[in-house]
Amino acid sequence: MEELRTNRKWPWPPKLLKWKPRQRVNFRVGMLFLLPWTIGFLAFTLYPMMASFVYSFSIYHSKQPLEWVGLQNYADLLKDSLFWQSLSNTLYMVAIGVPLTLLASFFCAVLLNLKVRGQSIYRVIYFLPSIVPTVASTILWLWILNPQTGILNTLLGYIGIQGPNWMSNPAWSKPGLILLGMWGMGGTIVIYLSGLQDVPIHLLEAAELDGANWWQRLWHVTVPMVSPITLFNLITGVIWMFQYFAQAYVFRGSHSLGYPLNSTLFYSVYLYQNAFLWLKMGYASAMAWVLFIIILICTLLLLKVSERFTYYAG
Amino acid sequence: MKHKNLWLFISLLLIASMLLASCGGGKPKTSVLRVWIQWGDNPQQLQELFDKYTAETGIKVEVTAPVEPDKILPSLTGSEPPDVLVLSGGDLVKSYYKEGLVEELTSAIQAGDIDLNDFFPASLDQCQMGDKILCLPWGTDMYALFWNKDMFEAAGLDPETPPATMEELVEFADKLTKVNADGTIEQIGFLPDQAWSHSDLYVRMFGGFWYSEDGTQLTANSQPVIDALTWQQQFYTKYGADNVLALSSGWADAYMSADYPFYTGKLAMYVDGEWMTGPNFISAFKPEASYGVAPFPPPADHPERANTAVVQGTVAVIPAGAKDKDASAKLLAWMMSPAIVAEEFCFNANLPTSKKAAEDPCFTSNPKFKEFVDLMASPNAKYIITTPISLELNEALGLVEEQVLHTGADPKPLLDALQAEFEPKLQEALK
Amino acid sequence: MAANLPTQYPNLQLHAETDEERRKRGRARKVRSFFKSLFSHTLINFIGLFFLIPFLWMLVTAFKSSEDVFHTPPRWLPYDNVRVEVNGEQLPLYNVQTESGVKQLAAVKIVEGVGTFVDPADPSQTVECEIQQGTTKIAEPIMHISFRWQNFPDAMARGSRPGVGASFWVYFKNSLIIAFFSIVGTLLSNTPVAYAFARLKFPGREILFVLILSTMMLPFQVTMIPIYLFFNDTLHWGNTFLPLIIPTFFANAYDVFLLRQFFKTIPEEMCDAARVDGASEWQIFTRIVIPLSIPVLATVTVFTFLWEWNDFTGPLLFLTSPKNFTMALGLQDFQSQRTMIWNQLMAAATVFTVPIVIAFFFAQKTFIQGIKLTGLKE
Repeated sequence: MEELRTNRKWPWPPKLLKWKPRQRVNFRVGMLFLLPWTIGFLAFTLYPMMASFVYSFSIYHSKQPLEWVGLQNYADLLKDSLFWQSLSNTLYMVAIGVPLTLLASFFCAVLLNLKVRGQSIYRVIYFLPSIVPTVASTILWLWILNPQTGILNTLLGYIGIQGPNWMSNPAWSKPGLILLGMWGMGGTIVIYLSGLQDVPIHLLEAAELDGANWWQRLWHVTVPMVSPITLFNLITGVIWMFQYFAQAYVFRGSHSLGYPLNSTLFYSVYLYQNAFLWLKMGYASAMAWVLFIIILICTLLLLKVSERFTYYAG
Repeated sequence: MKHKNLWLFISLLLIASMLLASCGGGKPKTSVLRVWIQWGDNPQQLQELFDKYTAETGIKVEVTAPVEPDKILPSLTGSEPPDVLVLSGGDLVKSYYKEGLVEELTSAIQAGDIDLNDFFPASLDQCQMGDKILCLPWGTDMYALFWNKDMFEAAGLDPETPPATMEELVEFADKLTKVNADGTIEQIGFLPDQAWSHSDLYVRMFGGFWYSEDGTQLTANSQPVIDALTWQQQFYTKYGADNVLALSSGWADAYMSADYPFYTGKLAMYVDGEWMTGPNFISAFKPEASYGVAPFPPPADHPERANTAVVQGTVAVIPAGAKDKDASAKLLAWMMSPAIVAEEFCFNANLPTSKKAAEDPCFTSNPKFKEFVDLMASPNAKYIITTPISLELNEALGLVEEQVLHTGADPKPLLDALQAEFEPKLQEALK
Repeated sequence: MAANLPTQYPNLQLHAETDEERRKRGRARKVRSFFKSLFSHTLINFIGLFFLIPFLWMLVTAFKSSEDVFHTPPRWLPYDNVRVEVNGEQLPLYNVQTESGVKQLAAVKIVEGVGTFVDPADPSQTVECEIQQGTTKIAEPIMHISFRWQNFPDAMARGSRPGVGASFWVYFKNSLIIAFFSIVGTLLSNTPVAYAFARLKFPGREILFVLILSTMMLPFQVTMIPIYLFFNDTLHWGNTFLPLIIPTFFANAYDVFLLRQFFKTIPEEMCDAARVDGASEWQIFTRIVIPLSIPVLATVTVFTFLWEWNDFTGPLLFLTSPKNFTMALGLQDFQSQRTMIWNQLMAAATVFTVPIVIAFFFAQKTFIQGIKLTGLKE
């Protein structure tokens, strides 16, 4: 009888009451150390999350009291053509910009891993643009992408290509922004570089002995070995790209947000416009929560899909 | 106790942030009034002007000019709005009032002893909603045609004779546009939306507007609006909108610099405001330019529309969140006094909104500026019509215009969609 | 014999190589490796140009004169007016077409298309003529290759709104202040939190850590509006640096993660020995862990500096009067004023970039180390 009672693992009463004094002391100490984060979490994460959740179901114009409207904001979002446009603009960057940049940075990392003279100088050159502050590099690229006086189109002209209107043609504004993003991918290159250096040499040697050429070694050994890094970069890149704001804001110069023709109206930019330019804070909060859900779904999808492709050594 | 130091540290951390908070947050300067001016042709001179108020009353005035349009609304809704805000145009004031962001000024006018009869009635119109006065006009702007005399000469046109009709303008523009062999454009004869949209002027030239005259109805898809957009479109599509955009990319950004295309020989004719004839623009950036100014020509079959101009005022408002409404009212009254209006707008080359100030001879001494003064007296000079939905409508109209001009789209379906979307919003807002 | 060959070595030769064959193979390999090396060198250089040219372009434009900035085709070296001293003033020299041929005259002033020139050798006589008739230029400025260092002090003193006490120097100072206090706040708040997750055993630790990590996925837009309203309307901290600095005193997920990874590498034995000796957790933290963590603290410092220096959205939301702008905001402000003085803009952008580049060259290892720490999986 006694055995039966003590062996059963009841979830109730909760373990809290069963803590040994040692645990209780540890908990107290732990909470003390955690105090900065706890206060921060409550004040700057939890409270705002709950507040914006409430706002998303209301009409809130800042100076006037909150007006509960239930799901009206969300319904309006579905009917809002600018919402869909901003979403598609952002998805363009996420689906094209992020993988392209990852591919390019992996390629650059491979290059920088080769034994060439002046390797360290090249590494500095590839990395330096990534620490140029965002506003400065965006303005610089506005200068570079100018259709008639910018050097990009001038250089393209030397090889006989007539460069497009990077800034006033809606089809080319996003590619221009992607170029800007690639210019600053030094950080990703460094992460890949250190990952490349961790690829076990014995695997590469074995492959070489097996007669694998350079490309086969790359594809069958290196890429799988750095796949955890690829996954990490992919997820962080996607999460970051969904929140793309500063570059688009600066890129439009003195034109209206989203110039040209709303092609640079990204989700975050449209949200900002709604919240701070048109004072539709409830509507903007609804947009924010939709964004959160989209990011969660994308991240989960990526993790699910990646299980097939990532390889974790040991 | 064992973790004394830890407690000490945590409490120090909290105290440190509190201290930072208090010393950073406290702003004891209640004796400084802040004036924000959306346009800022010469911020230094503006500060010097307001220093005169300081000399008179001892209250320090801090001028911020120019202010980006994007920052206006955040400043009105933020916790520290300026004490007086001067906007480039009166078209958004009704929207702001609807949101509760600006004060109704009747009491301020009484407190400051401002003489409403001194204002030109048309300029005060844009500030009135029923019997409420939402803003006070401070200087007014008008647009006309500017042309580059050197480029006229080079194209074989008489540099002293501007086009007399809109059709002639198109002809002149053709002669003044140079296209290279590979299709790229060397110089443009006339660009209708440089440096910003002038559809309000063109639509008037075609005999209508996108609001009804009393501002109660939206007429966005009426024939004059369609015609105006179609007329503007030809200047882009004739040479290939892409080619035109390749050249004009970045022109709007260079408005206040020596690289503005009107100064560098890339643009021969365009529509701009009276401030260009003053000391802050052409004379400052390109004194070597020789240019002419004339009223925008009417269509050939409607000569009665000659001297049509759209008058847009800059207006001063008191934000609802201003700290000391009395002080704001007094400052506003000082700004509206004829002597100050005369001084500021004589210097800056803007049109005066005060009848007494307009008597000052300085307004007629500059021959090019005089063109605008004369134009103001024309019976066809009309103030822009505004409504509480102007904020959103202007954005939407701008987008339609961009689509029509830059991509050669057909204006009618776009305007029909605009009308359908905003007419109910206007009716809703006017209730 | 052939049947005994292991299948994974298909290229193995069965017969002994002759000298001839060995030499040929050696040559072939040398040729192959030469071409491989040539190819990789070219590729690295070519792509390196993509990274280098914009950077150089920014620097070159910063040194150009206003007339030279829009020169087509774009020139790689900066050109400036040739100036000559006349009566104590530096006047630009022009090639002027006069009746007696082309003369080099100094321009005294130019008003509405008519220029007043003097001969530098004989300043008493003035010549007046139009600058341009039609498309023929009568007077053209003479330019030479010259680096206009003056752009830098000009740009910095100018700021985005000349004459209202808000120059780029002020913006620079504001950026420094915000960055400094943010670093202080970050170091003070993140280290205890990270230590707790790394070395303290308390119930609920793993759950809380997962919670912290999950906040990394929260887009800032979700919390942005209430935080803005809280700081602006409730606390009235609008237009001050506080909304940007105070949150750094309350820890953030990224730095906690980074520091925790590092703290975990500190040997358990040292901490255990101290515990046995009766030291409190706080003492272990401050006396043992922190001194050992200087490298990672340096990394956090550098990264916090980089992040705050770079930050645009935060200042955009909270700083409304130009006197309080940071460099990032000021630069964007300058650019949106429609006064595209490109050479000054690039000069200001260069000054904006310089502190980070300096920091990079001094702390290269720290930079790279930090990036690796954030990038590598646990």
